[in-house]
Formats: sequence, structure tokens, C-alpha cells
Amino acid sequence: MTDAPLPRPIVEMRGIDKAFGAVQALRGVDLVLYPGEILGLVGDNSAGKSTLMKILTGAYQRDGGEILVAGEPVQFKSPHESRDSGIEMIYQDFALCGNMDVGQNIFLGRWPLKGPFVDRGKMYAEADRVLKRLKVDVNSVYQKVESLSGGRQQSVAIARAISFEPRVVILDEPTANLSAMATERLLETMLELKRQGVAQIIISHRLVDIFAVGDRVMVLKRGEYVGDRYIRNTDEHEVLEIIVSGTRERALTADEAGARRPQ
Amino acid sequence: MTPMTTSPGRAPPQLAGGWEAGLLIFLVLLYVAGAVVNPTFFGSTEALHALLRDTSRVGIIAVGMTFVIANKDLDLSVGSTYGLIAVVFARLFASNVLDLGVVSTVLLCLALGAAIGLVNGVLVTLLKVPAFIATLTMLFIGRGFVLALTHGQAIYYSGKARDYPLFFYLGETNAFGFNNQIAVFAIVALVGALVLAKTRWGYETFATGGNEQAAVYAGIPTNWVRVRAYLISSLAATVSALLAAAQDKGATPLYGVSWELTVIASVIIGGASILGGRGRVIGSCLGAALVVLIDKVLRQGWPITRTVVIDGESIEVSARYTLPAGAVLVFLGLLLVIAVLIEPYLIRRQVAARFWAWIRGRAPPPALEVGGVALEGVQTKGAMASDAILSTKGLGRFLARRDALAIMLAATLWLTGVALRPDYWWNLSNTFAILLNFTELALITIGLTYVIAAGDIDLSVGAVLALAGSTAAYFLKVLGADPMTAIAMGLVAGMAAGLVNATLTVGFKLPAFIATLGMFYMARGLAAWFVAGQQLTGWSETYNLLGRKVNDVLLHFGLVLPPGLLRSVAEVVSIQTLWMFFVAVLAGIVLAYTPFGLKVCATGGNLRAAAYAGINTNRVRFLSLMLAALCATMAGLINIAYFRSFNPVAGQFRELDAIASVIIGGGSIFGGHGTMIGALAGAAVITLVRALLQLNVQGFTMPQHWINVFIGAILIIAVLIDIWVRQANILGRLRAHLAGGGKTRRRSS
Repeated sequence: MTDAPLPRPIVEMRGIDKAFGAVQALRGVDLVLYPGEILGLVGDNSAGKSTLMKILTGAYQRDGGEILVAGEPVQFKSPHESRDSGIEMIYQDFALCGNMDVGQNIFLGRWPLKGPFVDRGKMYAEADRVLKRLKVDVNSVYQKVESLSGGRQQSVAIARAISFEPRVVILDEPTANLSAMATERLLETMLELKRQGVAQIIISHRLVDIFAVGDRVMVLKRGEYVGDRYIRNTDEHEVLEIIVSGTRERALTADEAGARRPQ
Repeated sequence: MTPMTTSPGRAPPQLAGGWEAGLLIFLVLLYVAGAVVNPTFFGSTEALHALLRDTSRVGIIAVGMTFVIANKDLDLSVGSTYGLIAVVFARLFASNVLDLGVVSTVLLCLALGAAIGLVNGVLVTLLKVPAFIATLTMLFIGRGFVLALTHGQAIYYSGKARDYPLFFYLGETNAFGFNNQIAVFAIVALVGALVLAKTRWGYETFATGGNEQAAVYAGIPTNWVRVRAYLISSLAATVSALLAAAQDKGATPLYGVSWELTVIASVIIGGASILGGRGRVIGSCLGAALVVLIDKVLRQGWPITRTVVIDGESIEVSARYTLPAGAVLVFLGLLLVIAVLIEPYLIRRQVAARFWAWIRGRAPPPALEVGGVALEGVQTKGAMASDAILSTKGLGRFLARRDALAIMLAATLWLTGVALRPDYWWNLSNTFAILLNFTELALITIGLTYVIAAGDIDLSVGAVLALAGSTAAYFLKVLGADPMTAIAMGLVAGMAAGLVNATLTVGFKLPAFIATLGMFYMARGLAAWFVAGQQLTGWSETYNLLGRKVNDVLLHFGLVLPPGLLRSVAEVVSIQTLWMFFVAVLAGIVLAYTPFGLKVCATGGNLRAAAYAGINTNRVRFLSLMLAALCATMAGLINIAYFRSFNPVAGQFRELDAIASVIIGGGSIFGGHGTMIGALAGAAVITLVRALLQLNVQGFTMPQHWINVFIGAILIIAVLIDIWVRQANILGRLRAHLAGGGKTRRRSS
């Protein structure tokens, strides 16, 4: 991959600044994401991972810096605008309505219409198609979401995100509430998405998961970029060391680190 | 891994399901049973027709209410909206009042209905007032307007109605042999059922009720969805009131009293969940038919044979046992509480399916997996305004107290009284007369402060006051009990009500407002039952000592004070005032300085955190609700001693006064805050407002019903101040915005 010329990045964030009152949450952070890439975003608590992602989706407004999506400069004022550009975020608490069924949740807020009524036939058929594309095992699109286990609810949330045909999916701590089995299934789902060319950013405390599926890992510390590494060139030990003792001054990009590495 | 998703089979039904079928069967069985027991009343087609006709008006409102409840909201104002529209129609239309045409009258009524719905919706969504408190206040305000507009009299316009046959035909029987109201109901129900079950409006309603946060993420305009439901509910009540106007050709101030109970019970019986996200219009309509039928059965009574002895001969005479007026509320309140328990305890636990499997000897259906949907967010509120206290000094420190507003208001109001009536306001006798009025409210407020600080609410305090008073009066007068027995029985009745409240809220995990709303009707109904057909007055004066002045009590025991300061004080101070202050000091110390008081505030501030910290939150909430009932009971026992009789309107509107007192006095409607000084100051504010409004200033006094409207407005304003100034610190944010406006603009450029 390093030999071939890199394709145009799908997302590029440059010099992002963000302050909450007196607290400087982000200082000049850069982020690059290529199509079909899985980027792990790691760092200690309050490192600014979630803030950076919320700025990308438009949930927060940046104080400075610029964002390009597929080369176009953008200024999202709300998550709905970023969704139109193909960026989808899956929230930690899944954001599903437990009282509604799987199909209704996948099309939450944009149920297809036939005349004045909701087109149920189309809705359930589409929902079924999306679930099959993800290869997840939800028994029936008619099942109420509250009767599903945590892992299956996560699958429904991902299916919902996929149904927008996004180019970028952001997962915020997706494995935090999942059992080992469910985590395994989720990682398979992520690889399936990668095969379909969807770029993904995964915020996680669990390096194991990022090393299992990721292509690259990027470390934030106290609101600053302190380096990134290709997964194939690094190990958990090195990443942990960057998380704990990395600084902006000594930060190396993945390519720099790869070049220095004794082959 | 292979795809395990099956191809979508048959979609589940949306308009009606097993619950509706069961309701229909139950309804038919109940009606047949009624026809067997009381053939003269239920046996005719006439009776069935009357049942359907009366169901129509309740059912139309239930259709609107289904939208509100599916949104996880509540609309308690429908009954008074119904009454108000009927009365406004009469005022506008009747030839001896405004004498408008029928078209402009109907249009004005629809506009008023829409306005009420809009006010409800805006209060609940944009201004974030809890639904039950906003709509309860609207209920009381609406009732005040009804009384003000009718002066307690019925208005009839049957003469003029003949000139407009087209409109009044709505209330008549049509050529097909059934009443037109039934046709209107059928249309409303059909449209409502289709909209809720099959259109985006309905889907948006369920999403909002199921998980509002998720609905917002999905781009659903949830505030508009909720406002829309309130509009639908109010307009449904308006249509229903117009049908009543067409049928009765007149209106009385009693129209729609406690209809909110009937309607909410109907919707809940129809399968909707008070916790939101569930409900079907067809079910609500069947629920309405069931509730109206039960109501009719109760009001109609059942036939009995009585043996009468005439001239030494025993003759069997058929008679009828009927419940006294007001007692029907007991059963409707009970029905509401039971209905609310159905959804969480029967439907969610699949009791019917498991029972059916057990009958057939099969394995029970798999228990529902309960997943990790984050249904409730944890948040701690009101921190900003409290932090401000730490950085202030002197007067600023006083102003930052949550109860500063109440203390200043009480002082201002008292001074206003002096300014208005300098001749008499500051007299010792007037001061103590106000103090006497203050006593009852303050006593209730003491208990309610604990409940609200613990994050619950008790809407039944006024009704429990009446229940305890009527029980004691019944024992004194009818059973001739001695004072101590009467007090004990009053306490038993009041504490039983508190026990029911606490068990339903803590044990069965019902929302406090719905459990205590049920008790509100049950306790009032029981009080009306006790007082039915008799004057509860004239009993041993020993009991009445509870409500007398200190001097009178001393005289009763043969003590005569020497003339002087001590005696003049004893002549104006009441025993009850002393008792109230004793209770207040005790409760104040416990709330402010003991671990229990801190536990109450912790429970109200963040229930989950308090539970994690090892606080037995169930015990705290249970005791708080019991304390509120105890205080209301004491107020009731004192009330009948003071008046030497029991009046059925005792304690009416007291829940409104008491909640307003607590909120003005620094309590938060979301729980976690409350001081006894604040609560007493809040009660003083309400008492002084009432006293001032009743004051005769140059020959003008304000009628009682306007005062209730006024108090309702004060409650809403107090809650808004609590939410926006104390919790959201809107003033501080505004100041920061004005100060920091230039800076942020510079940075962004």
C-alpha cells in the first residue's frame, strides 16, 4: 500500500481548534482518512477523541481549522448536513427506539411513503436487504428492538447507518457494552463494510479490537495529535507508550515511522 | 457466517391486535351480564344506543389523548377544555348574552381549543415544564374560567337553536336510526386510527414516545410532534364539546368535571402505556366504551328488593341501590390505577401467553431478552445556580439562596397589604387571621416539601385532607365516637391513602403523578361517599378544641389567664398554628441537619447515584410520601375542628396551592432541592396572595374563581422561574453572552 500512490483522502481535517470556555479541548489537530480504511482513534480520557468526531459530524462547531470531504471544503452546522455528505456516526447508546421494530428503527425518521401512508412492504424489504448485506443475524425485521440483546441492537444501529449508503462511518466505543461473542460479530461486520469500500473511524479504549481490524491507529493526547502508526508496523506496546508519554514535538506520522523502522 | 435473516413474512397488524379483541369480548360479556342483572335498563336497543352516544364524546377525546400518551406526555386539561368550550359556546351563542351566529361561534370555539392546545404544547416542549404540572394547572385555570363565565348558573339556548337546524342536527338521531354523534365519533376514530398506525405522523409519535433522544438524532422534529399531539387532543375535546352543545342546547358549569380521569383511564385500558411509545386508537375507543359502561352501571345502581311493612303486612318492593353522587369517582380512580398496572405487569411479562402455554401443557414462550437501549439519561441539574452561592457575599449571598425569592415576595406582599388597607391590615386580629389561613396550607406544604425534594410529586394532598376530615367527622357524628377514636380513625384513613400512594409509586414503580392522581379521585370520592345525604356537623366540643384559640382551650379546662399581654396573645393564637410551627421546626431540622434529610435530597437529585451510594432510595421515597399524607391528614383533622363541620369542598385546590408554595420556596420540580424556611415562605406568599385578592379595596372584591385562575398562573410562573432561572441559569448565560459576545466574534473571524 505504501508503494502505490495514495488515493485522494475521503476526509481531511487540518489544524482543528476547539475551546469550551477556558478549556482548550483541541489544538491544531490534523486527521486524514482514506476510502476503505479503518482508523482507530485512541487516547486517554479527555484527550479530545469524541470532540474531534463531533466536530466532524457538525454536532460541535470548530473554532479554527478546516475540513475537506472528498477534497471539498465543508462547514457542517448539524449532523444532518454531514449525513448528506455521507458521514454517519453511531452513538454509544445506539439511539434506537425500543418500542419500535427493527425495520421501523432502520428507517427512523425517513420511513418510505406510499400516498399518505408509510409503505411497509418497501420498508421491511429494504430493511431486510440492508441486514443481509451486513450479514448480521437478526431473526426478523418485525422484532421489537427492546427484545434484542445488546449486540443485536448494535447491529441494528449499524444497519441503520449503512442504509444511508455512507462513505464514512464513525463508531463511538462500539464494543463498550458488548459480550465477547457480540464483539467478535461486530468486528466481522466492520470488515464486511471495509470490503464494500466504506471508511471507518473507531473510537475505542480497547486496543485489541483496533489491532484486530484496523489499518492505522492515531493517538490524541490532551487535545493534541501525538502520532499515528500503521497497524502492520506497530504493536500494542508502542501505541500504549505513545498514549502515555507521547508529545507533539516527538510525534511521527505513520509513513515517517514506517520509513524509520528497521526492515 | 451465513445470513440468518429470514425473508420478511407477514407484517404484524397495526390497527388492532389481541388486546383489542380481548377488550371487545369483555365488553360484550359485561353488557350481556348487565342486561341479565338489570334488563329494564340494559335490555333495550335504546340502552345500547344511549351507551354508544355517550361513548362518542368520551371516545373522541380519547382518540386525541392516545396521541399525547403515546408521546410519553399527559393532558389533564381535556375535561376543563371540554367544559370551557361548551360554556364559551353558550356565552357566544345564547341570545341573551352575545348572540353570535352559529358559524362564527363554532370558528371561535375551534380557535380557542387550538389556543389551549398550543399553550399546553409550548409549556411542555419549549419551556420544559413537566406535562402533568402544566396541564394540571391548565385544568384549574380552565375550571376557574368556567365558573367565572357562568357565575355557577346553567345557560340554555334551546329557543335560538331552532333557527339553526343544520348544526343542531349533529346532536339528533338521523334517518338511519342512530345519533349523528356516533357517526362523527366513527369518522374521528377511523381517521385517528389510520393516522396513528399508518402514517409518518404516527410513526414519529411512537419514536418520540419510545426514545426522544434517538428521534432527535434521526432528525424528527420532536417538539413539533409533541405540540401537535396537544393540539389534536385539545381540538378533539373541542369537537366533543361542540357535539354536547348541539345535543343539550345549553351548558352547565359541571360539564366535563373529572372527564380527564375517564379519558385517561380509557386510553390506558385500551393498551397504551403511561411510559410512552405504545397505544392504538381502536383500543382507546373500546376502552372508552368500557369505562362509560362501568360508569353507567355504577351510576344506575343495581335493583334490590326491600321488604316494607305496611299495616302489619310485609310487602316486597323492588327498589334500586344507587351510589351517592361523587362516589363513582372512587371506582374510576381505582380503575385508572389498575389499568396503569396492566401494561408493565401483564403485557410486558407476557402473562397471557405464558398462561395459555401452561393450559396447553406446552413450554412457555421465551422470556424477552432485555437489551442495552439507554432508556434514561442520568443528569444532575441546577448545579450552576448553586455554585453561584459559593462566590457571593452579603446581600448577594442572600439573593443567591433558592428561597430568597419567596422570602422577599412574602415581605413585599405583606407591605402591599399595608399600603392598600392601612386602616386594618396590620391589626393583630387580621395578622392572626392570615396566620390561621396560613396554617392549613403550611402544614400540607411541610410534607410535600419532602416528596418534591425526593423527586416525586403528590397530587392527592387536598383529597387526602378531605378524606381524613370526612372520616373523623363520620365517626364523630354518625357513629358517635369519642374524639380520640375519631382522630385515630382519621389518621388511619389518611395513612392508608398514603400507604397506597407509596406502595404504587415505590413498590409497583408507577410514576408518582399517575399513582397520586388516582388517589386524588379515590380520596375525594370516598369523602363524598361519607358525607352523602347527611350534614356532618354538630359534635362534641372537646374535639373542636383542636381548631380553637389557646385562650378558649385554657377556658375549657377551667384556666383563666390574668388580663395582660399573655392573655391577649392567647386570645389570638390558635392551637393549630402552634402545632404547625412545632411540626415545621421538627421537619426543618430533619431535612436540613440529619442524614435522612440529605438522603431525601440525594434521592431527588440523582436517584441512580444515590442508590449506587448505598442509600435505600425506596425507603426514602416511601417515607416521604407517607409524611405528605400524614401532614395532609393532620390538616384535615384540624380543618373539621375549626369549622365544627365537614364541608365537601374542604381542601379543594389545596394541591395547587401546596405545589406552588414548594416551588416558590426554592424546591425544584425535578427534585433534589427544598428547605423548610423556603416552603413556609412560599406558603406565606400563596396565603398573602389569596388574602390580598379577597381584600375589599374601595368596595371591590375579586370573586373566588378568579383567584384560582390567578393561583394557577402563579404556579406556572414559579415553575418556569425554577426551570429557567434557577436550573438553566438563563440570566447568568445572558450576562456571559453579552460580556463575551465581542470575544467570540473576534475569534471566529
